[in-house]
Amino acid sequence: MQLFLEQLLNGIAMGSIYALVTLGLALVYGVMRILHVAHAAVYTIGAYAGLYLFGATGSLAVAFLGSMAICAAVGVIIERFLYFPLLKYPPFVPLIGSIAVLLSIEEAARLVAGPYILTFPAKLPFPDVYVGGIQISSGLLAIYVITAAVLLVLWYITTRTELGLAMRAASQDAVIAGTMGINSHAIITITFVIGSATAAIAGILVGIYYNQVYPTMGTVPAYKTLALIVVGGLGSVPGAVIASLALGMAETLLIGYANIPLPRDALAFIAMIGVLMWRSEGLLGSSR
Amino acid sequence: MKWKGIASVAVAVCFVWAGMAGAAETIKIGVLAPLTGPAAADGLSVQNSLQLALERVNAEGGILGQKVELVIYDDRSEAKDAIGLARKLIEQDKIVAFVGGSYSNPTRAVAPIFQEEKIPQVAAYAVHPDVTKAGNYNFRNGFLGKVEGQSAAYAAVKMLKAKRISLLTSDNDFGRELAEGFKSYIATKAGGAATIVSAQVYPMAEKDFRPYLTKIKQDNPDLILASGYYFQTGPTVKQARELGIKATIVGEEGADSPKFVEIAGPQAAEGFVIVTNLNRDDKRPEVQKFLSTYEQRFKIQPDMVGASAYDAFMIIVDSIKRAKSTKGPDIRNAIASVKNFNGLTGEIKRFTAGGEVVKDVQVQIVKDGRFRYLGVVTDPDVITP
Repeated sequence: MQLFLEQLLNGIAMGSIYALVTLGLALVYGVMRILHVAHAAVYTIGAYAGLYLFGATGSLAVAFLGSMAICAAVGVIIERFLYFPLLKYPPFVPLIGSIAVLLSIEEAARLVAGPYILTFPAKLPFPDVYVGGIQISSGLLAIYVITAAVLLVLWYITTRTELGLAMRAASQDAVIAGTMGINSHAIITITFVIGSATAAIAGILVGIYYNQVYPTMGTVPAYKTLALIVVGGLGSVPGAVIASLALGMAETLLIGYANIPLPRDALAFIAMIGVLMWRSEGLLGSSR
Repeated sequence: MKWKGIASVAVAVCFVWAGMAGAAETIKIGVLAPLTGPAAADGLSVQNSLQLALERVNAEGGILGQKVELVIYDDRSEAKDAIGLARKLIEQDKIVAFVGGSYSNPTRAVAPIFQEEKIPQVAAYAVHPDVTKAGNYNFRNGFLGKVEGQSAAYAAVKMLKAKRISLLTSDNDFGRELAEGFKSYIATKAGGAATIVSAQVYPMAEKDFRPYLTKIKQDNPDLILASGYYFQTGPTVKQARELGIKATIVGEEGADSPKFVEIAGPQAAEGFVIVTNLNRDDKRPEVQKFLSTYEQRFKIQPDMVGASAYDAFMIIVDSIKRAKSTKGPDIRNAIASVKNFNGLTGEIKRFTAGGEVVKDVQVQIVKDGRFRYLGVVTDPDVITP
């Protein structure tokens, strides 16, 4: 039982990290119907920016806030200069553009910061906690608390503010929302700001948790998050979060109990294939 | 206008001519290494070390009165890139020999090409058996998984006196062979001194080792064999210590990088043991000179990848000198008859008929944040492929 609980805790941490990266993708798909693969590159930039700011100032607060600001700017630039001009083309065109941006940013990171794995030796201010003989290390606790905080803020924004109402309206139908006086493009920009800032938080958390920041750290998230937003229901933020948490736990328990070296990533895609076959709208998506 | 065009063509022809004439005066040795992409750090290690090797050879007057030239291309660690570039090295650059400075996948893809063209390859650190199986023009300066697995078991039982061992190995050819070698040594040669209490395999893309380690913690071993690259064993060791696992952790040459200590964190890294082919405390002056020059010049500690590439290059240079020829078959025969070559990665006793290197396996331990000498495996029973 103790082993099971410990593994479950590991799984929730993994799922929380997935959720933080997937959130931005789900938000963007919601308002723009674009598979924003370059989101994973924004996450990489977030990790690097956080690392440099932390190195320069020694303050994690500066690292988080500065990196969020930088990523928000990068996200908006991608939206303004890549997706917006390409919106009139079929969806695969912006997707190709997005992949190009992902690869370019990866190689740019390599040229600027070097190919080596950089370490992020910061300690988040959380204690080791023991609950009934089970240890929750400070790293795990940090991920739980920060993810919960981010989700709470997002939930508040999307359900309790006028901005959130406008975002939901724009995601349901941008044209109708426009006729109702909602500035759809402004909503899209704000969505990119929120999504990209979340990616920055994810990048820094992952960088500290694994003590690694490197140019290709976005490669696996780039495609895994795609599977996750399909499983969650394209554009559904709660769906993406639930799918992320479920995947994190499923992966961890599978390793803990089955010991077959199934690549973790395979599980996400098996789930995606299953969803596409039997419930194509996803866990929480609406069939439209 | 017309005359100007013709003149410029003529000038261009002259340059090409001059270039070709210049090319004829150097001996070209080709290299493929992953200079970009996920393996770029290893590619850079190869490039830096070969730069030092080249400078040394040319400062000593080159080979057969000619300067040596390195032709290095980026294969991004992709087989599909490597094949085209290997053809280019052979057909356009006219290389006389090849240093395999890349991972197993691209290296095994190009091995048959060099075999067919009768251009000898010495693979620096690619570990897949197929590299040398492509034929007698292919040699390897690194250890096979089986050799390293047996050596790790030898180190675990004979040097570290382990009784209960857990395996956590990577799911690739190297990891699987390493685990096989380790298990067979424990089963047949350890005399019942140790038992393997659990064996887990992790996929190559793994980042989070907590699920595996949480299980290992329950098995309560006194030694863990953790195979993989430094970006896998680094987190493994870090997370193991966070979970309160006290067992000695043993890795292999993949963890042989200063980056390992950084990623695991200096505290957790302390006491971590690896089997590898580079001994940092080697007393020979040329090894110490390489280690210090490298660190001064490139601002990072050298690793076994770079040292292996350096050796592969020097083996080729030495063989061309002994063969007194730049013809492929002559160089191949000279490499095949290498005897007690003084390399950075120890004394290269010889190559087997299958092109595998025979040399001692080094056991290193992290002390004060650096890999230091712990022991050496010389038992021919263990180290002969």
